Amino acid sequence: MIKTVELTKAFRTDEVETTALNKVDISVEPGEFVAVMGPSGCGKSTLLNVIGLLDNPTDGQYYFNGNEVSRYSERKRTYLRKGNIGFVFQSFNLIDELNVYENIELPLLYLKVSSSERKRRVTEAMDRMNISHRRKHFPQQLSGGQQQRVAIARAVVARPNLILADEPTGNLDSANGEEVMNLLVELNNDNTTIIMVTHSPSDADKAHRIVHLFDGHVVTENIRLTL
Amino acid sequence: MNELCVPVSGITENDVAEVTVSIKGKKIKYEFRIESFPWETEETLTETKDPLAISLGKIYRLKLAIESYDKNWELIQIFNPTEGSDHVHVLYRKKQ
Repeated sequence: MIKTVELTKAFRTDEVETTALNKVDISVEPGEFVAVMGPSGCGKSTLLNVIGLLDNPTDGQYYFNGNEVSRYSERKRTYLRKGNIGFVFQSFNLIDELNVYENIELPLLYLKVSSSERKRRVTEAMDRMNISHRRKHFPQQLSGGQQQRVAIARAVVARPNLILADEPTGNLDSANGEEVMNLLVELNNDNTTIIMVTHSPSDADKAHRIVHLFDGHVVTENIRLTL
Repeated sequence: MNELCVPVSGITENDVAEVTVSIKGKKIKYEFRIESFPWETEETLTETKDPLAISLGKIYRLKLAIESYDKNWELIQIFNPTEGSDHVHVLYRKKQ
C-alpha cells in the first residue's frame, strides 16, 4: 500500500538546512497497524505529513497504492487524499463553528456525496463512535475524549483505507486514551490500515509493528504481531 | 489506565530495573534496562569532514549497536541525548 525509497525531507531557511527525514525506507501492507516511535524532533510527524500527502518530500520516492506520488502537485495530492486517507490529530482539529454532525459530514461534502447518503453515513459513524447523543453539540461543549471520538468519526466517514494518527491519545487522560486506542484497533480489525505516531509504549504495543525513528532515520523495526 | 510511571533513582547504564505489577492478585513481572550507546563521541567514524557522511556514520553505528543487542530484550524507546551528552539512552524491556 505504501512504500518509500530513500525518502528525504529538508527544511531550508536562508541560513540553515534541517534534514527532518534522511533516506527513509519503509513499507506498509494493507491491513497493517504500524506505530512510529522516536524522541521529539526525530521526524515522526514530518513522515506522517509526507505519507498523508500533506507535503512533498525533497528527494526520494513515495509509492501510494503503486503510484509514484512524490512529485504530485498540491491539487493532485488533495484529490488523492480525499476518500483515501483519514487523519486523526493530537489536538483533534475540529471546526469550532460546526456541531458534531456537521464536523463529521464535512469530508462527504468535499466528496460531493448525496444528501441522503451523507445522512446515512454520518449517523452510522456517530453510532459507531458512540457520540450520537452529542450530535448538536459544538466541540467546546465536549470532553477531550468525546472530541477525539468525533475526530475519528470524521476520519472514517469517507471510508478511507488508511488512517494516519498523530499522537491520538496525547491530549487525553488514560481512560479516554484507552477508549480511543480500542477504536483504532477495532477499525484495524475491519481491515483499515493504520499508521500512528506515538510517544506511548503501551499505545505502540497495540500495533503489529513498531518503527523507531532517530535523527531522521529509521533505526530499527520491532515486529510484534503478524497479520 | 494502562501506564504507570515509576520513578527509579540511581539507575545507571546496564542496570536492570525489575518491576513486578500485581493486578487483582495476578503478578506480572517486567524487567527494564537502560542502555547507553555512543553518539557524539570523539571516536573517528570516517576520514571525511562532510557533515552528511558523519551523520550517516553515527546512525550506522547506532543501528549496529541496536541490531547486535541481546535478542532477549526488545527496544521500547530511544531518547534524545541530553545537552552535552555524547551518548544516547535506549530503554529495553525483557521479552515475556
